[in-house]
Amino acid sequence: MRGYFDTLKVIVLIAFRNLFASRLKTLIVGGIIFFGSMLVVVGTALVDSVDASMSRSIIGSVAGHIQVYNAKSVDELAVMGNFQMEGADLAQIDDFQAMRKAILSVPNVKAVVPMGLSGAMVPAGNTVDVVLEKLRDIVRRQQAGEDVRLALDSQKDHVRQIVEVLAADIANVGKLLTDKAVPAEELAAVRRATAPGFWKEFDADPLATLEFLENSIAPIATDADMLFLRYVGTDPAAFAQSFDRMKIVDGATIPPGKRGFLFSKWVYETQVKLKTAHRLDDIHDAILKRGKTIATDPDLQRFIKQNSSEVKELMLQLDGQQVAMFRAKLQKELGSQETDVSKLLAEFFRVDDGNIMHRYRFFYDELAPALTLYRVRVGDVITIKAFTKSGYVQSVNLRVYGTFTFEGLEDSHMAGELNIMDLVSFRELYGFATPERDREIQALKVTAGFKDVDRDQAEAELFGAAPIIAAAETKPAAVDAESVLRSIAGKSKREKRENQVYDQAQLGQGVVLNAAVMVKNPRLIPQTMRDIEAAGSKAGLTLKAIDWQKASGLIGQFVTMIRAVLYISVLIIFAVALVIINNALVMATLERIAEIGTLRAVGAQRRFLLGMLLVEALAVGGLFGGIGSAAGAGLVAILRMVGIPATNDIFYFFFSGPRLHPGLSVANVALALAIVLLVSGASSLYPGFLAMRVSPRQAMQSDE
Amino acid sequence: MKNIVSVKQVHKNYTLGTFVVHALRGVSLDVEEGEFLAIAGPSGSGKTTLLNLIGCVDTPTEGTVRIGDNATETMSERDLTRLRLHTIGFIFQSFNLVSVLNVLQNIELPLLLQRSASAKERRQRVEALLDRVGIREYARHRPSELSGGQRQRVAIARALVTRPQLVLADEPTANLDSVTGTNILDLMKELNRTEKTTFIFSTHDARVWAYASSVVRLADGQLVDRVSAEEAVRVGGVGNLPSARTT
Repeated sequence: MRGYFDTLKVIVLIAFRNLFASRLKTLIVGGIIFFGSMLVVVGTALVDSVDASMSRSIIGSVAGHIQVYNAKSVDELAVMGNFQMEGADLAQIDDFQAMRKAILSVPNVKAVVPMGLSGAMVPAGNTVDVVLEKLRDIVRRQQAGEDVRLALDSQKDHVRQIVEVLAADIANVGKLLTDKAVPAEELAAVRRATAPGFWKEFDADPLATLEFLENSIAPIATDADMLFLRYVGTDPAAFAQSFDRMKIVDGATIPPGKRGFLFSKWVYETQVKLKTAHRLDDIHDAILKRGKTIATDPDLQRFIKQNSSEVKELMLQLDGQQVAMFRAKLQKELGSQETDVSKLLAEFFRVDDGNIMHRYRFFYDELAPALTLYRVRVGDVITIKAFTKSGYVQSVNLRVYGTFTFEGLEDSHMAGELNIMDLVSFRELYGFATPERDREIQALKVTAGFKDVDRDQAEAELFGAAPIIAAAETKPAAVDAESVLRSIAGKSKREKRENQVYDQAQLGQGVVLNAAVMVKNPRLIPQTMRDIEAAGSKAGLTLKAIDWQKASGLIGQFVTMIRAVLYISVLIIFAVALVIINNALVMATLERIAEIGTLRAVGAQRRFLLGMLLVEALAVGGLFGGIGSAAGAGLVAILRMVGIPATNDIFYFFFSGPRLHPGLSVANVALALAIVLLVSGASSLYPGFLAMRVSPRQAMQSDE
Repeated sequence: MKNIVSVKQVHKNYTLGTFVVHALRGVSLDVEEGEFLAIAGPSGSGKTTLLNLIGCVDTPTEGTVRIGDNATETMSERDLTRLRLHTIGFIFQSFNLVSVLNVLQNIELPLLLQRSASAKERRQRVEALLDRVGIREYARHRPSELSGGQRQRVAIARALVTRPQLVLADEPTANLDSVTGTNILDLMKELNRTEKTTFIFSTHDARVWAYASSVVRLADGQLVDRVSAEEAVRVGGVGNLPSARTT
């Protein structure tokens, strides 16, 4: 044993001396290995850390550890979307209670949250419509005998202000383009509304004038747009309990048994908030949180340009008094004598790095209190219109109870895109049959004298042949007034669904599209998924379980993609290293033919030579790989201390917060060293083979 | 005396493309233990080829080579390597020291390959040989820091450190000046006498024949004759060799 050790010692000695003798070659090879091993350590540490933080983001925001859906679905479930407008085509699971029971029978399952994902367009209202609606309400009150003179004057003033803004707008368009660019009917409508006698006309016949304003003036103000909302229909209480990063920001959660809607704070801020204010927030946050400057950032410059050119959004909100108030404040703030508030506002929003913080505070302290900052407010009822699975339009009115966010992911649009709706309303929007709906349809069938018609006889029965309803039934009973009234009452009842309640059993028993599963031990996710599918089969359900990474769609594959890119880079680097080490050792072998021949002649076995080259390669690999790994570990430690800033909201989501503090595991270093040693060892094989083929005769080369 | 080397009707051919070089043609030779044998002949006469065959670093195309009791033609590559390690020492014309090892390590190398001697024993043997060849003060020097004569002394010490029965020296004085060459031959001769080690060395230098106990003369791959050192010296240089004939 001691002899082996001594021989090894001499092998190591020769190997190291050889390395030292060809320093330049050693340094070149070592440099590549150093870089490669450092890349492996830093790269795998970063990818692992992003993987861990992203898993926290995805698991904690909507996916849970596992998602379960119907295996008969056409598409795969992607809870965070697949960058497509259309949602995944999922087959429904009829009985959530049975599904829940089957899933909860798996020991590692902690909780099951019912879900359904969809999206809908929501009309967000037109400022002019809103103002005119208020005016109409005041007129009604006036006609009912109420004294509303002050309110009426104020509202009329606001409408007058709006009309002036629109008239100025049209005049600008005319100047910039041609008169033909403005449709004649719009021009005529504005001329009429700005004519001196218009408001006398209003006082004479307020309702007729209001109709003109609503039909001809309101459409000119193009500030109305639609909100596209993605939402998850769920049991709000179970959702809040399982996704404990969820926090209510404004208002309250949807009360148990109530229909309702919770805006994601991110959606609320980016889509519902006044665009000018939102852009001002973005500029402010980019400077404060991400260290950007207006002078250098083209995005911020674009926001400023938009804010200063799109002041109409604000102007439409202001009545005469507010205009005067804005004028006074802005003149003072800007030190300007300009009287046109539009121009003052445009000037005010033309901010730079020097005044942004002051103007930001001024806007919120002095101007915002007079503005409606959010188009939908907590407590409002919104109408959500969506296409059902069968393709017809269904709508529900839902009260907005509040806004929520996921703690640590406040600025991430990926975590903030989904809003929350109660599951019962979701089912209705998605077109699921509920017992209540079934009863309603049956009542309508009876009222309308519904009868099944054979396909072959349909044309004759409907248009040509004898009436399909027996004579006795065609009497007024078919349009039975009582039934029709009941039906209308039903419709009315449906329209007031925002006030309806449901019980927990109704929530638990119905249809769902998918369910989030939280587990006790996340390490057992693969086994738990198999167990859930098995439990589903046992219960007669065709359940498919996918992990959070798959469930999150393309986003979840991001880390896999990054990892693949990293591994391909590492593969290329080490393939190059392998070739270079191999070449260096081949050259070294060829240069040392006489020496190798001498060693063979004096009694060195072939394996001694192979060992010598192997040790030589491993020594370079081990030494520089070790230094590279240590440097990589050091770099990771620095990054951990400093943190890598999330420069945009995608990184914010991936980092699960504003900064990534990467962690280093033994596995990162071990992997780097293993790769380095493997590559080094492999690269010594061919030179070793060459060395073994050197004949001891080579040592005896003489002049002969 | 017992034969340490027995070469019988050995032929060695080398193929160079389509051309076959007959390096040795039917050479037979016996060497007794303790001999100090010189193989003489001009360049291309087959001296080194014969030494290669005796040293088991090459195999004959035809014929047999026995080293002691070992019939080398039946031995595997691994066994031949072992035989070289334990039985034969080599001294090369160009010294062939491992450049990255110092003198002490170069001498110790065969012992490390043998893996039989303890560290203490190795040290004692190496130090004894350093004294013996007179380079003790250079023990920590690298070969590049030594003169030609000193390097050859190191090579001699390395050849002897395993206490081989046979030492083969290929033109050991060819790269040395005459004084140093003489000193090296004196050293080898002394070791032959005191250690009873058999020395076979090749040379084309007639001056060194005087040291040999007998001289085997080769020409054109054939053994011309085997004469005493005195006879060889009397006859003169290799240019005066009689026509090649098979012995």
